[in-house]
Amino acid sequence: MNVLRGSMPHLVLDKISIHYDGQPAPAVERVSIDVAGDDFVVLVGRSGCGKTSLLNVAAGLVTPARGNATTDGRPITAPGSDRTVVFQNDALFPWLTARENVAFALRLRGVRPAERARRADELLALVKLGDAGDKRIWELSGGMRQRVGLARALAAEPQFLLLDEPLGALDALTRERMQTTLLDLWTASHAGVLMVTHGIEEALVLATRIVVLAPGPGRVVRSFEPGFSRRYAAGEGIRAIKADPAFAAARGELTDAIFEGEAA
Amino acid sequence: MTISSYTERAGHRTEEADGLSVPWSRPSPKRKGVSARMISAVTILLVLGAWGLSARLQLVSPVFLPSPVAVWNKFIVVARDSFVDATLLQHTVASLGRVFAALVAAILVGVPVGLAIGISTVGRGIFDPLLEFLRPIPPLAYLPLVIIWFGIGEPSKILVIAIAMLAPVALSTASGVRGVSQERIDAARSLGATRRQVVRHVILPSALPSILTGLRIALGAGWSTLVAAELVAATRGLGFMIQSAAQFLVTDVVIMGILVIAAIAFVLEFTIRRIERALVPWAGRE
Repeated sequence: MNVLRGSMPHLVLDKISIHYDGQPAPAVERVSIDVAGDDFVVLVGRSGCGKTSLLNVAAGLVTPARGNATTDGRPITAPGSDRTVVFQNDALFPWLTARENVAFALRLRGVRPAERARRADELLALVKLGDAGDKRIWELSGGMRQRVGLARALAAEPQFLLLDEPLGALDALTRERMQTTLLDLWTASHAGVLMVTHGIEEALVLATRIVVLAPGPGRVVRSFEPGFSRRYAAGEGIRAIKADPAFAAARGELTDAIFEGEAA
Repeated sequence: MTISSYTERAGHRTEEADGLSVPWSRPSPKRKGVSARMISAVTILLVLGAWGLSARLQLVSPVFLPSPVAVWNKFIVVARDSFVDATLLQHTVASLGRVFAALVAAILVGVPVGLAIGISTVGRGIFDPLLEFLRPIPPLAYLPLVIIWFGIGEPSKILVIAIAMLAPVALSTASGVRGVSQERIDAARSLGATRRQVVRHVILPSALPSILTGLRIALGAGWSTLVAAELVAATRGLGFMIQSAAQFLVTDVVIMGILVIAAIAFVLEFTIRRIERALVPWAGRE
């Protein structure tokens, strides 16, 4: 789907081990994940499998004990706007309007006010909040806030979008609707996505690849390529996809993989 | 009076009447607020009444306890003419000027100090013990030292007030800074913010509600230090006015001065709360 296939960026986590200070055992041991620029990789697994830790390594917020994290071959040593993060709690700035929040990355770069307002309005329209630019953050619902958070992350024009349970704090119905929003953004932004979630169905709908992690210490146990998100990108309806018997089968298989080895 | 005004309210609002019919149910916050204010008003009236009554019956000599009316008259006289060579307005302006000069000084020093405590271990190591040492000392205790070091001029008076204000400003700033959510900082960093930009664009605005609370507390602390600051070599000021009056046993001026100080403190508190609401409307709504 990307024309310049040869120059596609890669976010690579290579044999990453993470060891937190004061912890007897490593949180993550020798995990390798490769996210291409048109991938939507979803990390799932039980609590304590280190999925958020791995995302933080990719973000540059956590330094691994061993292993290499790189984007385009350059080592990741600090956070950078080529890999923007969206957190579960939107982490928006309440002293700014929705538009100013979205324009934050542009403001940091010294983009002129008129230009950054124009860019921010474009992005707000993309997340279907075209008329909410002047709204204050506390006037928005949880789903709207998360949309602003996504638009803010996209404003930096990242190569990769790192999503840490972005739909985790939303109610079930909003979450359902946000799934298609995420897919639309993924297609529109040409950014690779690495996402952490607890939602099994969410993972199946969104991912081009699902990486299943198990705890104690965190390690990869399975990898799936469900392909439903490509079908959505090709124009198939989300309800039709979810009603497909293949979807139910995949859900069963993924659930088994997640709870494999756990005493019932 | 209480009963009549209460029934009047209950007639207007049916849900309050419901609340009244089940007295042991959890009161609605609204009803509780109204009745607390009512009780306060009644309390103040009762105190005023007791004061007026005891003055009227001459339970205490008027030299020690002038009547409310005498104090009110004195207020008019001093406001129009003067007491110890200055009108009430001039005394008030002198005192307010000192307190606000001290507030500016306390902000200029206290906010950076609080920021240093909040964001760096070195800063906390240096300033925390100093502030903890300074905080509990009453102004009257360090006043003599300030005078020995800085003389009896205006700077000493401002300094005494500023010292009292420093700890609340710095400590509130520090607690505001420490309360900034890590996610918010991480989000800004991932959007490309440098350390400096994080402080300027994320930490300071996040800490602003807490800083404003600190200013409000500091203003209270500074205002209550006023009399001490004006103990020595002042020629104007509400504290000076009270002390001069006390020396000549002009009790009505003493009481009037106390009430004026209290009234101004009340107005300041109210004003800052309004400023807080205008400046940080998001506080408590996140």
